[in-house]
Amino acid sequence: MDPITFSIIRHRLFRVVEEAVITLKHVSGTAITNEGHDLMVSLYRADGSLLMGGVGFLHHLTSAAEACKAIIRRFEGQINEGDLFLLNDPFTAALHTSDIYLVSPIHHQGKLIAWSACFVHVYDIGAMNPGGFAPDAQDIYTEGFSSPGIKLIDRGQLRQDLWDTILNMVRGPEMVALDLRSMIACNNVAKDRTLALTEKYGEETLDRVCRMLIEQSETRLRERLRELPDGQWQSRQYLEVKGEIYKVILTMSKKDDSLVFDFSGSSPQSKYSVNCTKWASIGGLFAPIFPLLCYDITWNEGVTRPITVIAPEGTIVNCTRPAPVSVATVGAIQSVNNAALSTIGKMLASSELYAEEATAVWHANNFAIFMFGTNQRGGQSIGILTETFAGSGGARTFADGVDIGGEIPNPISRMANVETIEASFPIRYLFRRRLRDSGGPGKFRGGTGGEMAIVPHDGPDGGIHYVLSGKGSKFPQSEGLAGGYPGAINDYVWVHTPTDVGEAGRFAQDLDAMPGGKEPISWGVFPLMDKDALYVRWNGGGGVGDPLERESDKVLRDVVEGIISPRAASEVYGIVLDGGKVDADATAVRRKTLRGSRIASEARQ
Amino acid sequence: MTRRRISETLAVEAGNIICARCSHALGAVAANWKKKAALTTVPLKSLPGAGSAVEAQVVLRRFACPGCGRLLDTETAMPDDPFLEDVVRV
Repeated sequence: MDPITFSIIRHRLFRVVEEAVITLKHVSGTAITNEGHDLMVSLYRADGSLLMGGVGFLHHLTSAAEACKAIIRRFEGQINEGDLFLLNDPFTAALHTSDIYLVSPIHHQGKLIAWSACFVHVYDIGAMNPGGFAPDAQDIYTEGFSSPGIKLIDRGQLRQDLWDTILNMVRGPEMVALDLRSMIACNNVAKDRTLALTEKYGEETLDRVCRMLIEQSETRLRERLRELPDGQWQSRQYLEVKGEIYKVILTMSKKDDSLVFDFSGSSPQSKYSVNCTKWASIGGLFAPIFPLLCYDITWNEGVTRPITVIAPEGTIVNCTRPAPVSVATVGAIQSVNNAALSTIGKMLASSELYAEEATAVWHANNFAIFMFGTNQRGGQSIGILTETFAGSGGARTFADGVDIGGEIPNPISRMANVETIEASFPIRYLFRRRLRDSGGPGKFRGGTGGEMAIVPHDGPDGGIHYVLSGKGSKFPQSEGLAGGYPGAINDYVWVHTPTDVGEAGRFAQDLDAMPGGKEPISWGVFPLMDKDALYVRWNGGGGVGDPLERESDKVLRDVVEGIISPRAASEVYGIVLDGGKVDADATAVRRKTLRGSRIASEARQ
Repeated sequence: MTRRRISETLAVEAGNIICARCSHALGAVAANWKKKAALTTVPLKSLPGAGSAVEAQVVLRRFACPGCGRLLDTETAMPDDPFLEDVVRV
């Protein structure tokens, strides 16, 4: 194989995926898909193994491979040209029921040569709570329609009976139908472009390149691992739901050219829907591996070969049926992701060669707020607040994290425009901006998270309701690195605004200025009716290094820009400000004092 | 003498883990260096930017060099949880 042809085909395969993603976004009408980018498209080999991972939520790359393999097993002898299958059962391969996989076999001259697969988070799946995230669910049976695999299109013909049945079980069927059609279109484009590539270069050449790509990825990752020190690194993540605390414990061991991720010691599975299944844990684990260890390696089956995962059955990271899992993607999966990111970051930081690739944990606590009810036009609306995808960058060993900087498991995540949300729901934003003191302190500061507040506006029913599910707001999860502090914690506050509030109160520009009782909430269904307001803040990224080593001018700049408070500048960074300037002499004294206070006690445990 | 990096803040020299800034010894390579570090614990609820619902017991463990006071590592923990242990084979 000449290297030029190999390289051209590799790039063409990636462009196939990219064009399919564009198709998905253009056809879908939902903010979560075409603005939040809660999506994924990838190509798979004929046996279902990952060939070309695309962008979007990376924890789906390996799970969709398992979906292809599950379809191959279930429909052996019945997989025909023009078929398309749907799978969303978390105990078979999916992450949770509302992340639907549509997978399509690609045949060339009657022979199965590949698969395309994609997912979006549909706006509803018929779970007991609107939107698919079901904090009230006690088992998988109450989390909506769940299929281990059905043939939705048979030899090019849509099975209308199945289509109608699925849409009959969901709220907002027109939006769900649009998302399903976007995935069909996406798979069609992926199939057409793959076939065009096959026609141009020949089936044999394409097959050879695909095999070489997988072998190349395995070889290159193993080479990279051999360049890193052997060792063992640990991480611990806490989750909290309604007063119950769960832990995800990870020990990552690296020896020669292989990695073992061992989740022994993690909490037993929960009665709440923050659990995740084995396939979801594996997906959550690989999400940071792809960008952090394989940033210059093709994301495919080869990357998975040097990796071993130990996830004890019956734990929160490998729950058994019929445990509820609908909140998994913002629950245990994300904690698995965070823990893996933390240990990989520490491993990279231990290497002279790779220290600059190390990072603290990025935006570590997604939240799911699904609003539902009668909109300002009298119709029904259902949809998510996409601010959770805005994220925050973890600091690196040479630079601050990016403010509102996205998240590691989805390189293209972002939040929708305020206008998009206000046009879809009877609400009004009071404010949305970076959150002060949210970036984890450090020599290099974590990127900030954000804060926002919304109130009802112009709703015929007086407002709307929302389903809130996350991992609570009690524990930070964006861990720092090498002395850096974690990013600040999420917060959800139900503001009970008095009925006699004045004009100023109705347009308050921060939480403290919002009149009325303030009730912390984190799990369940809540009203945003009449005079209610909802305040939300999301976490910042972790910091790197000792905050007392941060350059004084950078601390001053952060204070001036409202990124950190004068209190943080003084207590955490040891900076003495005087009249809008840094008092260098007083700062030196203060920092020396703070360092001295640390030495006063010896660690004992 | 050969010095080898094992983290952003720690190195190994002559079989001992040392502070990369001041070379203060923190014990043999095979032992958990955190037991030789200076530890302060800060309730996360007390830090600037803490949210309204932060768990009362959760703390930030700050492991500092007993020689120069530089922060070497941090970890979020409940009081009864053991130290996280990171080991680099040298």
